[in-house]
Amino acid sequence: MPSRRRTLLKVIILGDSGVGKTSLMNQYVNKKFSNQYKATIGADFLTKEVQFEDRLFTLQIWDTAGQERFQSLGVAFYRGADCCVLVYDVNSMKSFDNLNNWREEFLIQASPSDPENFPFVVLGNKIDVDGGNSRVVSEKKARAWCASKGNIPYFETSAKEGINVEEAFQVIAKDALKSGEEEEIYLPDTIDVGSSSQPRSSGCEC
Amino acid sequence: MSSSDSSSSSASDDPNPKLKPQPLESQFQSSLTLEDSDGVARTDDASVAEQQQEQQDEGSGNGSVDGVVNVEDNGHRDSSDREEGIGSGEARDGDGGSGGGGGVVWRRANSEVELEVEAPASPSSSGYAGGRGSSGASSASRADDASEEDEIEVVGNDDGGAVGAPDSQAEWTPGKRHVDEDDASISWRKRKKHFFILSNSGKPIYSRYGDEHKLAGFSATLQAIISFVENGGDRVKYVKAGMHQVVFLVKGPIYLVCISCTEEPFESLVAQLELVYGQMILILTKSLNRCFEKNPKFDMTPLLGGTDVVFSALIHSFSWNPAAFLHAYACLPLPYATRQAAGAILQDVADSGVLFALLMCKHRVGTSLKVISLVGAQKASLHPDDMLLLGNFIMSSESFRQVTSESFSPICLPRYNPMAFLHAYVHYFDADTYLILLTTRSDAFYHLKDCRIRIETVLLKSNVLSEVQRSTLDGGMRVEDLSVDLQQHTGSTSRVEDKPHTETPERIRESSLVGLGGPAGLWHFLYRSVYLDQYVSSEFSSPINTHRQQKRLYRAYQKLYVSMHSKGIGPHKTQFRRDENYVLLCWVTPDFELYAAFDPLADKALAIKTCNKVCQWVKDVENEIFLLGASPFSW
Repeated sequence: MPSRRRTLLKVIILGDSGVGKTSLMNQYVNKKFSNQYKATIGADFLTKEVQFEDRLFTLQIWDTAGQERFQSLGVAFYRGADCCVLVYDVNSMKSFDNLNNWREEFLIQASPSDPENFPFVVLGNKIDVDGGNSRVVSEKKARAWCASKGNIPYFETSAKEGINVEEAFQVIAKDALKSGEEEEIYLPDTIDVGSSSQPRSSGCEC
Repeated sequence: MSSSDSSSSSASDDPNPKLKPQPLESQFQSSLTLEDSDGVARTDDASVAEQQQEQQDEGSGNGSVDGVVNVEDNGHRDSSDREEGIGSGEARDGDGGSGGGGGVVWRRANSEVELEVEAPASPSSSGYAGGRGSSGASSASRADDASEEDEIEVVGNDDGGAVGAPDSQAEWTPGKRHVDEDDASISWRKRKKHFFILSNSGKPIYSRYGDEHKLAGFSATLQAIISFVENGGDRVKYVKAGMHQVVFLVKGPIYLVCISCTEEPFESLVAQLELVYGQMILILTKSLNRCFEKNPKFDMTPLLGGTDVVFSALIHSFSWNPAAFLHAYACLPLPYATRQAAGAILQDVADSGVLFALLMCKHRVGTSLKVISLVGAQKASLHPDDMLLLGNFIMSSESFRQVTSESFSPICLPRYNPMAFLHAYVHYFDADTYLILLTTRSDAFYHLKDCRIRIETVLLKSNVLSEVQRSTLDGGMRVEDLSVDLQQHTGSTSRVEDKPHTETPERIRESSLVGLGGPAGLWHFLYRSVYLDQYVSSEFSSPINTHRQQKRLYRAYQKLYVSMHSKGIGPHKTQFRRDENYVLLCWVTPDFELYAAFDPLADKALAIKTCNKVCQWVKDVENEIFLLGASPFSW
């Protein structure tokens, strides 16, 4: 409970296995990249402090496993997310096609209050591979899909070269912050002893 | 450790528990008694190492022969627990010592367990370095005392000083410490007892140590564990990992987790998590559930801003305040007439629209609270846990504590009505004594102020406040004052009204020169009145005079409490337990519970007799040590 107001944002990273979710996160948080592929088991959690418009906030990044066998973790993982990052590999059409599934799955599981305006960010990763020659998903195609889903911000990234990673997470933070802004006044009731239905706790609920 | 290590007689032995309890002696006639070496059933190496060291401590401190402990066992007990650790007749090498000669051999022959320390102990793997060899430690300052703090396990090199200079509660500074740490810090990982509150989306709400935001990843991991099990339609209660126990408590959208290597029983840790949750409800009410329903992203931390100190004070109190595990409150000893006078004026204001009126004072050591008097409007009653949480909230918040200032704050009593706020008017009459008036009306400040002025006038006129000051200085019951001969007992706490009385020769008042312990090696006792929801604790006396020893004793009581009340193996009526630290005797009846600690070499028959005397003594002075005639404090 910090006395200075800080905001914590829960960011979920989704996408097919092997598209580079963990690498993106590692590049962003630790400024490191490894060519070795290590499948994420369940989920990994990282935190990063970010300053944005004179405010300090913490990104709690949930790097999930892309393998289908981990999808049962759904609800628990998605609950209360402030932003969802969808990642695909520009060199794999299937990973791009699956973005739709990932997005819908997320909206079902997380059931955010305003699904139309829930902040997503799409990242097309691995643009460095083979100098771009093995690329199969064009930027135009990706941007068209993003536009059709309510103007999702789109970035082309390379976790290996560190291209656009910082920029992408800046937008993630900004969007997540925007959606978390609306705040209600916390005003619980006061006990009304006069009323006949005096609530009574059983006294042994523990 | 299972309570089957000790003698106990189950309540079902008693055909008619409503009857007045028999003297303790007769209870023991039909029950088993086991004098046991604590921790024999433990199997892990680290505890063997610790055991080894403890044995040595005893060997040097209490003069028991060659560190050999004989366990009296009449063989009637189910020994299966122990069999796990020590096969019948099987010798087992303790390998806790990291290399070099200091082996412990466990031997079980028929019904006798011997523990032999064969050679000077080698340093244990757990890093306790103090107390090695027979001259390293005395029984009064034990080598692992230092690690009893919920702090980093440190080498116990300050034991020597601890005897002469009792470390008091006063050293504890309120508020959160070690904010710079996170889960990557070695120091953070070594803390003995962590508490976490998080939301069911994995957002951190509170951590005892370290910065919540830096622990966001750790907090997410905890949520993942809980949710993973939840997804399978199950619930995770605890996880054991080596010396550590991870205990989970799910309260709707709020998850509470304790990670501890203090060897406290699971039941105790859950009860502590319940209190931590209750403290949060006291500050915010359960309406916070609605916020999570509307918005799972809901971040509670701003609502709890500045309340770190309340939670850390509560968690600290788990180690030294018996109210936390007894679920009872303590009263300040006062002459009956004085308490009556205080109660009368409180009753007066309660009749004028105040829901609860509490006059409390701070114990002279630490921030433990004692009740002077309390009154509830008709039919309204206060749960002792609510009193603990309310007292902790008020005493730990600096802003309430300005003498002569008045505060008005919304608070919720979780056991009274967890959904809604009451309003509390708080006023300190002096540094230690304060008044709480609880009302349902948010506009009642001026009315309550008038009530307070009336109360203050009466309290001054009837000398209540000066009696309170005298009592806080004098302290409570002292084991040294327990008369040796019950027949001669005059029946009074020496401190309260005894002064004008003539002294009986038996009652030599040595207590002023640091207690020497009571008759038959009695060191300390706790007495809980079941119907009153109140307890009385004797003052600490030698040799329980350092904070660490007191904490150790409370932990032992806490274990005893759990073993007497746990559903699986209890309930029990009596228990006699001897280990290398104490003889512990517990007696539970429908009317009261007595927990007593004796010298480990105390004679059993004498100890039992002494417990009877303690009970008689408490009954003799109950007018002064308890608040009588208050409305029953149960629903």
